Amino acid sequence: MFSLNNQLELRRVTISSLITCVYLPSIVTVISYKGLLYSVGNASSFYILVLIFIAELLKSFYFKSVNDLQSKKSKPSKNKAGDVLKSFVFLLCVMFSFFVGIILFGAPVLDCHEETLMLSALLTLLTVFPLILHTGVETSMQLLFGVRQFGKDTIIEMLVNNALFTVCGAWLGAVVIPLDWNTPWQVWPIPCHLGAIGGYLISNVLNVLKVTLMSAAIKYPALNLLVSALNKLQISK
Amino acid sequence: MLRWLQHRWTGFCLVIMALGALILFLYGFFPLKYHSGKMAHMDDLPNFIDGISIDGQQVYNSGENTVILMVIDGLRYDFVTEEYMPYTGQLLKNKSACIHVSVAEPPTVTMPRIKSPERKKEKAQWRRTINFWRDIFAMMTGSVSTFADVALNFGAPAVRGDSVLRVAAARGRRSVLYGDETWVRLFPGLWSEYDGTTSFFVTDYTEVDNNVTRHLDKILAPDEKKKPIFDFLVLHYLGLDHIGHLEGARSDKIKPKLIEMDEVVKKIFTQMQYWDRTGVLFICGDHGMRDAGGHGGATPAEVLVPLVLAKTNEFLCPHDKGPGPTVAQVDLAPSVSWLLNVPIPGDSTGRILPALLPQDTRQHLYLLHVVAQHNAKENGLPTDTEFYKQFQRAEKQFAHYLATGQQSAAKIAKEFYEESLEIMSKYLVETTVDFDMFAIGTAICLLYFIVTSLACVTLYSLQPDTNRKLSVTQHKQTSTAGLILAFFIIYSISCFILTTACFITETNSQLCSFDSVWLLALLLIACAFTMSYFLIKSSIEKIKNLSTLKDLNAIDYLLIVGTLFHAWSFLGTSFIEEEHMTWYFFWNTLMFLVLLRTIMVVVIYLSKKLSGATEVQEKPELEQKMSTVGIGIVPKWILLIALHRYLRTMNQTGDRWLFLPDTADWLNAPENKLYLQAHLVIGTLLTLAICLYNVRHMNNFMQMHSAFTVLAILAIFCYRVTSQSLESPFTDIKTWDNVTIVNIFWGLLLAQFIFEILTYIGMFRSCGVRIPNRLSSNEFVFNKPKAKTEDYFYDPCMDEPWNIAEVKLNLARSLSHIMLNDLMLIVTLLMRPHNVIMVPSVYVTCVLTSQCMDHKLLDSRSTKRTDIVDVLSRTLVHLWIGHLFFFYQGNSNSLASVDLGSGYVGLSEYCPVRVALRMGVHAYAGPAIAGAVLFCTIAESSESWHQYLQSIWRATNIFGLQRVYAITVYSVVATIFRHHLFVWSVFSPKLLYDFVATVLTIQAIGTIAQIVWLTHITSWLARLFTNKTRL
Repeated sequence: MFSLNNQLELRRVTISSLITCVYLPSIVTVISYKGLLYSVGNASSFYILVLIFIAELLKSFYFKSVNDLQSKKSKPSKNKAGDVLKSFVFLLCVMFSFFVGIILFGAPVLDCHEETLMLSALLTLLTVFPLILHTGVETSMQLLFGVRQFGKDTIIEMLVNNALFTVCGAWLGAVVIPLDWNTPWQVWPIPCHLGAIGGYLISNVLNVLKVTLMSAAIKYPALNLLVSALNKLQISK
Repeated sequence: MLRWLQHRWTGFCLVIMALGALILFLYGFFPLKYHSGKMAHMDDLPNFIDGISIDGQQVYNSGENTVILMVIDGLRYDFVTEEYMPYTGQLLKNKSACIHVSVAEPPTVTMPRIKSPERKKEKAQWRRTINFWRDIFAMMTGSVSTFADVALNFGAPAVRGDSVLRVAAARGRRSVLYGDETWVRLFPGLWSEYDGTTSFFVTDYTEVDNNVTRHLDKILAPDEKKKPIFDFLVLHYLGLDHIGHLEGARSDKIKPKLIEMDEVVKKIFTQMQYWDRTGVLFICGDHGMRDAGGHGGATPAEVLVPLVLAKTNEFLCPHDKGPGPTVAQVDLAPSVSWLLNVPIPGDSTGRILPALLPQDTRQHLYLLHVVAQHNAKENGLPTDTEFYKQFQRAEKQFAHYLATGQQSAAKIAKEFYEESLEIMSKYLVETTVDFDMFAIGTAICLLYFIVTSLACVTLYSLQPDTNRKLSVTQHKQTSTAGLILAFFIIYSISCFILTTACFITETNSQLCSFDSVWLLALLLIACAFTMSYFLIKSSIEKIKNLSTLKDLNAIDYLLIVGTLFHAWSFLGTSFIEEEHMTWYFFWNTLMFLVLLRTIMVVVIYLSKKLSGATEVQEKPELEQKMSTVGIGIVPKWILLIALHRYLRTMNQTGDRWLFLPDTADWLNAPENKLYLQAHLVIGTLLTLAICLYNVRHMNNFMQMHSAFTVLAILAIFCYRVTSQSLESPFTDIKTWDNVTIVNIFWGLLLAQFIFEILTYIGMFRSCGVRIPNRLSSNEFVFNKPKAKTEDYFYDPCMDEPWNIAEVKLNLARSLSHIMLNDLMLIVTLLMRPHNVIMVPSVYVTCVLTSQCMDHKLLDSRSTKRTDIVDVLSRTLVHLWIGHLFFFYQGNSNSLASVDLGSGYVGLSEYCPVRVALRMGVHAYAGPAIAGAVLFCTIAESSESWHQYLQSIWRATNIFGLQRVYAITVYSVVATIFRHHLFVWSVFSPKLLYDFVATVLTIQAIGTIAQIVWLTHITSWLARLFTNKTRL
């Protein structure tokens, strides 16, 4: 549940979600306009991942910059290179565990490794990567294993929620594969790929919606009902 | 009525009632109008028309004809024009050929797509056979086939009843087939010459047709007397359909193909003119195709097919130019029969094509009479209808014409015959395929009532114990007479409603015929309605406390919602064909959630433990939580996930991906024999280990039980060696008779069971055998006094001086484990070698899952009493595991995946009951073992006899509720889709599977009831024995 106490954080959440709501649909639109939508699983569409990577990086810079302005006690990062290396290794580990997990849960074992790898890369990018950028490796590990509760930090809450929506989207995407519509997109891993992107997008849209409604609810208390309904939608608890 | 609600086996009775309702539903859904199997004979031809004699055989004679039936798969009506087929169009134009519009039943299944390994050819062949079944059946027997025709002889589909080919062969006509192999499969032994082509490759559209055409020159050439060397020739061309599948009706390849077909027609027709006989050529398609390619819908382009009739010897088509009259597919059979001068097949309902009928009035009328009389004699045709009277009038006119020769009488007779024939054929076709909607509706209503009352009973049983006892005491004083009166009032009301419904709907259902048997059925239905009404009513009044349901966690919700949703997923046909996908998906989600939960618990535990004793209060609780499972649960669980991933690849099932190679194919390849044997041996040995581990629950003769188990496993190994699936260093074993081995196996299982019962009774004690007193915990003898009563010896009148309840619980435990062990051993015996590994896997999965899903472990806030929610989640998860392994094993919702081989294990000759039992146990091995493990776990984990009974009560209720809920929803789904294209290939087989599953559920709950009953009997017997020895 977001709190209204920290207006600045809320603003940051809104703006970053809005950015996501703009850049992800535009990427998807451009790809589908180019007729490349059904090749998202191949390694040839690696540039999408790069684009997402850059966008998330920029978003995190945005978070960080405001953070610095506000708190003014940014820790002197002595071993920045070490941090980067550590998070890179951690990301690789996460990606590998995603890869193994996806295969354990039903992806083809012997072939389609390329597609599965792309999917796990996408999932890593959308779930763990923003968390690491924002909090660092140790905290995100603790968050992942449920040791630490994310208390009152709105941004972390948003990020975890995004991650859960992404995974759920990828998960639900698999539902359409057994249907006998014989469409070209019912091929592994396109539904899961698009499902992950869709889940991430929906989560961001919900964030924006919630913040807007919360601000509006100050004026019109009747809207509180909607806000609480939206809060119920949140998976992370 | 409260007593019913509280009774332990009310749920069981409700499931049995649900089975009855399901049978009623099946009765309505599958019309039981079997084909009579009547064989036609020349003597059947009538020799008297209303008392006036006529020489039937002489008038019937059509002269010497040779018939060629050319079936072009996928021939659409608009293909037969001068543009596409110039020669045929020319024939039609100068009226030496006739065109008819025929309405085809669309075929049900599309073609398999990918090259399949040898092992799966059989399944694919079955689907192909069903694909052509309807058309060939209709054309050759003259009757519309029902699902019963298909389902009753799966495995080897062949037409058992009468057909044109049967009568032709009986009269010595030579039938020849060139074309699809399905014809040979459907009519084995009736061809004097054939060359069947099989084609699984849609991409091949030239070879399949060349295989047919290459024989033409040889077969069409007449012999020295200018007579053709055959009487009936069937040509079946597949190429056009293949092009249609590949590229659609607008493809460039269509036109050359049609011209090729046209050339064939030209060749045949010119050749026919050289013969000294009349040649008749029928050209027809069995279904059309869409413009976009493929077929399976009900658009005119797919359903309307041409039937072209060409005849030599100055034939002139009597019809006007244009689209031609509409005929049915079943009309081919009587026409061909008459042309071949053989009687009309026994079950035919068609008519002779009007264009073929001769000019001679006498013969014309006689033929009409023969067909009409044939149809009128069909089973179940009512004689009080208008068309039957019309037929009788026509007969009178015909007789009048025969007697006087008046042309006007002939004209009237002809009209009357045609009118009556038209309605008669329609009626016969409709009654064969019609559903009994009244029975279906009643059955669905009844199922709905039953499922509601079962849900009420289940909810009632899920209340905590204390509250229920309170409510019992409150309502003790209700008069029995009042209850009986209330029952009868409601009973008569429901009888009245049913009867009124019968009359209001004006149905011609058998259920409303008020015959003796059906009246009984009606009364029983009313009784079921009344009972469920009272159950619902009293449970609504009595359910007060459902606080236990508040303890459900996310995984429980997933289980409940998943189970509820799964039943509705059948609204999509793909979800029926690919039902395994739904279960795999659910199961993966479940495993994922459990993994997350356990990781969280373990990480919290570890971090707290490592960080020292800062939180002193939480620690003992955590320790207690972890003590049951240990940290090793996480790696174990991950290994389990990996195991399931492996098992998933073992058998490809469903429909779409059936043809992908799987591990079973790889294992069954001859070069991998070693791995297959390794699977077999490992699976069997693991089963042995599990069985030996379970022996600990049995009486103190553990070494005896172990010996029995080891011997049974040895018997299984011997059987495997004799059945060539295992190599052994002892070559002697190979020569042993495997029937004897299997008999010994049964004997061992039975002996073990009887031995166990006898030791409990104390039979051996009375014989003077001393039981070695080794472990006091395993000592289940009756003379151990109850802990509290010390002076039992001086008070013989006291109810139970011994620890009866404890012994009963022990007996129930040991019997459940014997049941589980026997089941596992039997399944190990029946399974295919590569599937043996499933047996220990089910057990391991069940045990690990019930460990991990323990509410005390997973929930952060620990409530004190979790046994009720534990029972709920355990029951549901075992049901899921059962379904999962059902599909892992290679089953699907298609009749093709039934493994017939397992039915004959250890049998030397066919015995329907034994074969069916073996097949049932083999197919439902997964659900059966999972259920057995569930009841064993319940017996093991309950602390007292009372708690055991309560848990069993709850578990059986949930078990039954899930089953009845599934069939209720599915019967609604099947009713909605009763006219769906896939009703035969998808919906109906699933109904049969559901029926078997319901029967087996009843059997499972019945077994549990038997175990409880046996414990009672045994303790009673034991009391007798011990008393006797003591006194």
